[in-house]
Amino acid sequence: MKAITKTIVVTAIFALAATACGGGGGGGGTGTATPTGGGVEKGGTLKLGLSADVSNAYDPQKEYAALSFEFFRCCLLRTLVQFPGLEADNGGNELGPDIAESLPEESADGLTYTFHLKQGIHYAPPLQDVEVTAQDFVRALMRESDPEASAQGYPFYYSPIQGFDDAAGGSIKGLETPDDYTLVVHLTQPTGDFPFRMSMPATAPIPPNPSDPSAALGVAEGHTKDYGRFLIATGPYMFEGSETMDFSVPADQQTKNPGYVPGRSMTLVRNPSWSDDTVRPAYVDRIEVAIGGTDIDLANKIDAGELDMDLSGVPPAQQIQAWQADPNRQDQIHANPSDGVRYLTMNMAMPPFDDVQVRRAIEYVVDKDALRRTRGGPLFGDLAGHFIPSTLLGGLNSDYDPYASPNGQGDVTKAKAEMAQSVYDTDQDGICDAPECKGVLAITDNQPPYPENNAILVDNLSQIGIELDVKTGDRYTFMYDKCLTPESHAAFCPSIGWFKDYPDALTFGPPTLGSESIGSFDIPLAGATPEQLKGWGYTVTEVPSFDDKFAECSAMALGAERLQCWADADKLIMETAPVVPWLFDKDVDLSGDRIVNYTYDSSAGLASLDHLALVGGGA
Amino acid sequence: MGRYLIRRALFLVLVLVIVSLLTFTIFFKLPAGDPARRVAGRVITPETLVAIRHNLGLDKPLWVQYGRFAKGLVPWPGLFLNKQVYFNYANNVPVSEEIYRRLPVTITLAIGASIAWLLIGLPIGIVSAIRRRSLFDRAGMLFALFGVSAPIFWLAYVMLYIFWFKFQQWFGWSLPGSGLPTGESLMQSVLRGRFLLPWFALALSFAAFYTRMVRGNLIETMSEDYIRTARAKGLAERRVVFRHGLRAALTPVVTMFGLDLATLLGGALITETVFNLPGIGQYTYNSVTSSNFPGIMGVTVLASFFIVVANLVVDIVYAFLDPRVRYT
Repeated sequence: MKAITKTIVVTAIFALAATACGGGGGGGGTGTATPTGGGVEKGGTLKLGLSADVSNAYDPQKEYAALSFEFFRCCLLRTLVQFPGLEADNGGNELGPDIAESLPEESADGLTYTFHLKQGIHYAPPLQDVEVTAQDFVRALMRESDPEASAQGYPFYYSPIQGFDDAAGGSIKGLETPDDYTLVVHLTQPTGDFPFRMSMPATAPIPPNPSDPSAALGVAEGHTKDYGRFLIATGPYMFEGSETMDFSVPADQQTKNPGYVPGRSMTLVRNPSWSDDTVRPAYVDRIEVAIGGTDIDLANKIDAGELDMDLSGVPPAQQIQAWQADPNRQDQIHANPSDGVRYLTMNMAMPPFDDVQVRRAIEYVVDKDALRRTRGGPLFGDLAGHFIPSTLLGGLNSDYDPYASPNGQGDVTKAKAEMAQSVYDTDQDGICDAPECKGVLAITDNQPPYPENNAILVDNLSQIGIELDVKTGDRYTFMYDKCLTPESHAAFCPSIGWFKDYPDALTFGPPTLGSESIGSFDIPLAGATPEQLKGWGYTVTEVPSFDDKFAECSAMALGAERLQCWADADKLIMETAPVVPWLFDKDVDLSGDRIVNYTYDSSAGLASLDHLALVGGGA
Repeated sequence: MGRYLIRRALFLVLVLVIVSLLTFTIFFKLPAGDPARRVAGRVITPETLVAIRHNLGLDKPLWVQYGRFAKGLVPWPGLFLNKQVYFNYANNVPVSEEIYRRLPVTITLAIGASIAWLLIGLPIGIVSAIRRRSLFDRAGMLFALFGVSAPIFWLAYVMLYIFWFKFQQWFGWSLPGSGLPTGESLMQSVLRGRFLLPWFALALSFAAFYTRMVRGNLIETMSEDYIRTARAKGLAERRVVFRHGLRAALTPVVTMFGLDLATLLGGALITETVFNLPGIGQYTYNSVTSSNFPGIMGVTVLASFFIVVANLVVDIVYAFLDPRVRYT
């Protein structure tokens, strides 16, 4: 059996070195990262605000966003392995054991992972007498294999498990539980990042129903659409009132957890069953989350001391400016790399973007600095010179920027030089003058700052003769509908962003440029076959593919070789230029006056709620 | 009157059907995109979309889809806003659960605001009418002009800024700000004054309108012959105004009041959003911005129901107020 601890440590060392060399936070400190002690007092009620609720009422098989991931990790659900909720340069991307005694044992062929569970871990009330066993993880993966239960989630990450894709909510051939504290997972192919996938909340244990031991999905039985309302915690916190849930009655008669009122509020209290946890310090006693309100309303409440933090996303520009001007608040402004990238996409099957020279010309001409200004400036991220964030590459490629321009403001001269080599520049003067250069369909988001971005891009591309026909609409029902549908022939989709699911470059490559993601986020149609292109009505018969490179890297075990492979894939992407990355995103938080020990969870991309503490323990 | 009521009840059903048809048509025929995309989440495959469309019934003929939704509008247990169809795409919560939970907040807001605008608008309108062209009248009309001109979203933020944010800085005390804290019942929220600012922000524009309406109606009524007769008979001016003049002047006000209250029961969208009140209006806003069609359909028909019923009620009340009106 091959232990994978060394490779995890190597990854962490590279990440540490990379962050030391690369850009860091834009303003203020990021707080100490000591999980225990360090003068931090326990106690108090943390008051948070959210302008909008999560998207699936905390159903762990459905939730697929940073906000819910953080609440699951910090507070509600433990998994076999987990990240510590720290900054990347403080070991935040270093996987460690959680309910498992140690990281899994991996077979020599990379096809079998064995997890040994700690004993004596119990669920929160009302199931405080029920111990977490290996079968509970099987139950979670069974539910994950049910397309309806895992709708909007990420079941594709578990397809390598033998029998997972055929299970449809039933038993999974590749999962074994030789005893209550051992889980053996058999894969169909080597999947080097598999341990990362077992840190995701969808794999959190689902307890059996003591009143109905025959229920295959335990307490989740009968709750295909709303299991989150009946969630049983294993983490340091639980929903207030969890103890009132009664699983002895049929599912449709069970009372929902009163501590979570969708769209209104959420209250977490300490889980009395929580024990044997080296991952989470959990300083505060209680977390109250008020859901709803505009961003200005929440900002005013933070300024007035009624809230400690707004987790919604970007604070209002006026508030950031006010705090930046206040010398007493510098330590309360936090900007951390979110391991996400914002980028423009070009449909490689749509002229003129079927020509790599045109794509490279656009790489040069885009004024990335101007685009960043529409988001608020350098505080909100570093200009991106390549696609996969270096923090996911162990620091590799941090200086790689093949289309660099002065101050990131675009280089029209170099852009024209590329364009002059294109078949769409008939007189080789650096201006795209073929008919295909006019009326290029661009589909964008209608929410700020994308309208401002559109104006910049229209101007940038016009300098090399490309005229955009910009259409804007709702992100989900219009933009995604057009950009993600090959038959729509959307040529240019500039309002795209992608963020990691866990700290591995695999979460960037295949989902955005792999052929299996055509119809999803492979907007450039990388890897599309000639038959597919013809079927969608394209005259272009061939487009580049990254599938082979992605497959090569995906199969590698965690470690330096895998990181180098992904770094090479990143370079291949940039040479082929299907996308124009322009910003390595940063998450900006403003922490209220009561908060001490602000810490950023690099794995989720949000403030680390189990590390937050209150001054004086909230007294 | 019995036949009239039956006719109006049938008319109510017809109106609700038309409203539901229009809502359904607008949602599905205008180019707003594919609702299945919203449900699909981040990773979308063609197979996923097909499965979601099937689960949501979006692959069925339009008339079948409408039938499924229309069934959920029948006020019968098991049918009304049933969970099988009326399920929020955005957060997987039944529409009925959201509406029933939010309705008390909206009712509280609507009733409180309506009392406030009557208490403000009627006296100002009456005094303005009686003391025409006086300083009070001028001030009253200025108030009315301000009230109908100031947009509610601006007014709400200004009130929050002054009475909550600034008062705390100036005096160390303030009226409660936006939102209803967790763990606090609706009654506790009312008693702690959390509805004061929303009530007055919402009431102000209505009060301004009612001021002008009452003033205008009363001035017109007070010039009627029977008022001159009442004065000639030697009745006290107070009696003339309040017993004879006001009754006729307020009849249209009653009609308007019923309709305005019914409109608010469907959700004061801007007020609830700005003040972060978890009512029907906020739910409507969230449903629209998230393209949550079951939610949109549910609140639209609910709002229409309130207005149509209110129309019926005010018509009946009108008959009692004005003996000249009879229904058959």
